[in-house]
Amino acid sequence: MTEPILQVTDIHKRFPGVHALKGVGFDVRPGEIHALLGENGAGKSTLIKIIAGVYNPDSGGINFGGQAVAFTNPRDAQNAGVATMYQELSLYPELTVAENIFMGHAPHRNFGLFSIVDWNTMYSQAKELLEELEIYDMDVKRQVGTLNVGNRQRVEIAKALSLNARLLIMDEPTAALTESDVESLFSTVRLLRERGVGIIYISHKLIEVFELADRVTVLRDGEYIGTKEVSETNEGELISMMVGRSIDNLFPKQEAEIGDVVLEVRNLVREPHTKNISFQVRAGEIVGLAGLVGSGRSETAQVIFGIDTAESGDIYIHGQPVKITQPAQAIEHGIAYVPEDRGTQGLIKEMTIRENVSMAVLKQVSHASFIDTDAEKNIAKQAIEQFGIRAYSTEQIANKLSGGNQQKVVVSKWLASNPLLIIMDEPTRGVDVGAKAEIHRLMSALAAERGLAILMISSELPEILGMSDRILVMRDGEIVAEFTREEATQQKIGAAMMSAESVV
Amino acid sequence: MATMEKSKMIGDGKSPSQILKDIALSQEGILFIILVLTIMILSRSNENFLTTRNLFNQGRLMAEVGLMALPMTFIIITGGIDLSVGSILGLSAILVGYTWSNLGMPLEVAIVMALLGGSLAGFINGLIIVRINVPPLIMTLATLAFYRGLAQGISEARSVTGYPEWFFGLGQGTFLGFPSQLWLLIIAIIISITVLQRTTLGRTLYAIGNNAVGARFSGLPVDRTLLIIYTFSGFMAGLSGVIFVSRFTTTRSDMGNGLELDAIAAVVLGGTSIFGGKGSIIGTIIGVVMVQLLRNGLAINGVTNDATIVVIGSVLIVAILVNNQIQRLRQSE
Repeated sequence: MTEPILQVTDIHKRFPGVHALKGVGFDVRPGEIHALLGENGAGKSTLIKIIAGVYNPDSGGINFGGQAVAFTNPRDAQNAGVATMYQELSLYPELTVAENIFMGHAPHRNFGLFSIVDWNTMYSQAKELLEELEIYDMDVKRQVGTLNVGNRQRVEIAKALSLNARLLIMDEPTAALTESDVESLFSTVRLLRERGVGIIYISHKLIEVFELADRVTVLRDGEYIGTKEVSETNEGELISMMVGRSIDNLFPKQEAEIGDVVLEVRNLVREPHTKNISFQVRAGEIVGLAGLVGSGRSETAQVIFGIDTAESGDIYIHGQPVKITQPAQAIEHGIAYVPEDRGTQGLIKEMTIRENVSMAVLKQVSHASFIDTDAEKNIAKQAIEQFGIRAYSTEQIANKLSGGNQQKVVVSKWLASNPLLIIMDEPTRGVDVGAKAEIHRLMSALAAERGLAILMISSELPEILGMSDRILVMRDGEIVAEFTREEATQQKIGAAMMSAESVV
Repeated sequence: MATMEKSKMIGDGKSPSQILKDIALSQEGILFIILVLTIMILSRSNENFLTTRNLFNQGRLMAEVGLMALPMTFIIITGGIDLSVGSILGLSAILVGYTWSNLGMPLEVAIVMALLGGSLAGFINGLIIVRINVPPLIMTLATLAFYRGLAQGISEARSVTGYPEWFFGLGQGTFLGFPSQLWLLIIAIIISITVLQRTTLGRTLYAIGNNAVGARFSGLPVDRTLLIIYTFSGFMAGLSGVIFVSRFTTTRSDMGNGLELDAIAAVVLGGTSIFGGKGSIIGTIIGVVMVQLLRNGLAINGVTNDATIVVIGSVLIVAILVNNQIQRLRQSE
């Protein structure tokens, strides 16, 4: 067996009020993709920051490349050969690909006191590095800001290579990627594995772990739970290791009585993302809207909700034609929209839970424009109790909540508006497994017990299959397929989502 | 249920001394303490400073900037700015003189014209900011020049004098023993505080300043709210223009030159974040009073005008630094 490139033993780290890591240890071998799993707050981020030299551990040892090391800052770690890709990429959008790759160690020529960047060498070396990653179509003189997220990640990987990294840490690299970018990222990562680079891969998505990783280590509440060979474990085991109990059902779909048509959309057009869309959603029904990123699902939802105005087409609520040019009108007609981007669209993070929960019903909780703070507090208290939001007070700032709890605040804000139809755009993105099951249970209950019509946009096929009564597939701004719950399979939906691409 | 009760204790059940400490260490509390210290120092060094007569006079002088600083607080809370208020003041002043003297209308009509003109100027700012998405800084920088130019064009560089005696009551008279314009300012302050703290409009302002996209996705009337506050800003600048003419007895097209900076300085000194989302009227008022009293106190102590500006600038910087430091310490607590 090969010597591990990284060996971490019995790491402890305390922050004021939190014991973030309680004796965590694991190892990474050269040429291994080692997945790190755990719910939000399990300690993954703290652990990788310790390995990357951002934090110092209170106790415990790190052995890198056969030597005991104590990185005191990120630069030490980098020089030793540890490269880290954080969720927010640390690139300079105004600079070129080559400049970014060689940031801080650009090839230069010395003239006595001066040194001058050797641009030609830099460009040719950048090109070579990209070619090593089998990337041949990227212009090294292009501004990074003009690249899409997938290509920016490749630049970041090339940057890690330029530093001769022997260990690469990737923190949720696929969170913002489209499906085709995910595939090419995976092949790049596999390429690095073949070269003998050790890789720590953090992800929320179990599917990725099974597709990519060799071993997987699970953390929970700052404790080391265990390490498994990926080939010898399964999804259920990993989930129960992560949450400490077995979640019997990630998709608790209740049998609901399907009622009248609540929303009907006919020939809705808003170029370029919405071209001639028609569909219905009934009371008590969950309709899943599947499609690739960029197929126009969110854009269409936002036309229905009045963020953008339709160029033509009609929207009917309970059979009555309605005109929606602003979100306020959509709310009045009983439409709610839980947006994809929770941080900017869904919440005002700097404001309190109370202020967020009452935001869509501000008119109802005020008399002649004067806000009734007690009424607001009541709504917020109810939300906290009913949905089990983990908060110490209604006056807590939304930003201080975890992702799952923030999502519950957004959902309770929209339920306060007493909607007929709720559009949920990627309702469980960036939410850990435990909270995911809770949100699914809530959706099911809303449809079955309250008779709410739900339109669910999701990029996760298991979620679409597990939660929907009916499934619509969008491609290039049009609905191209419709399946009932019984007839839908991953293959059929996948084919419908992509068939135009396979022709090309 | 048990957790709810516990949270109530943490959230609402603060001891009186804790509440007092919170108030004293808030942005406004600190500023207020600095203000009191300033007044104490100034009054010890000159006996004419802390007299009713002098303070009333200062009240008159701060009314115009104060009236403009109120809507400026609203605008800066949304993350915007209005650089054109000084020019709108000048334009409104000219409209008083032009309507009364050149068009021969009654002075009452001229005053209404000035207020309408100011409101329209603000409305145009708001409309273009909202509809064409021009950043407020650029839009109002353009109208800073445009409205001033308009004022100069209309007045043709001639000043208007000889207003009837009753008109000076507003700028120079007293009402119930107080300078008249101070009453207007106090009423405007009370309304502004109420609107900002208690109404849906006020809540919308904070929401826009913190996250305009989130506000829009929550169905708040973002565009309408912005339109209202820029129009309100124009109206208040118009009102300040009328008071200015009444106090000055003459109309000139350069009136209010640079006053926008005084108003913005007062707002920012008062703890309103220039990035939006945070701020209060009380802070702004303390800011207005502080700048005015410093200016006056130094002048009657025989400090030259140039030196006064340096001292005011230094006090502003110190006040902001002290405040930042204390708020940072409190946050890390």
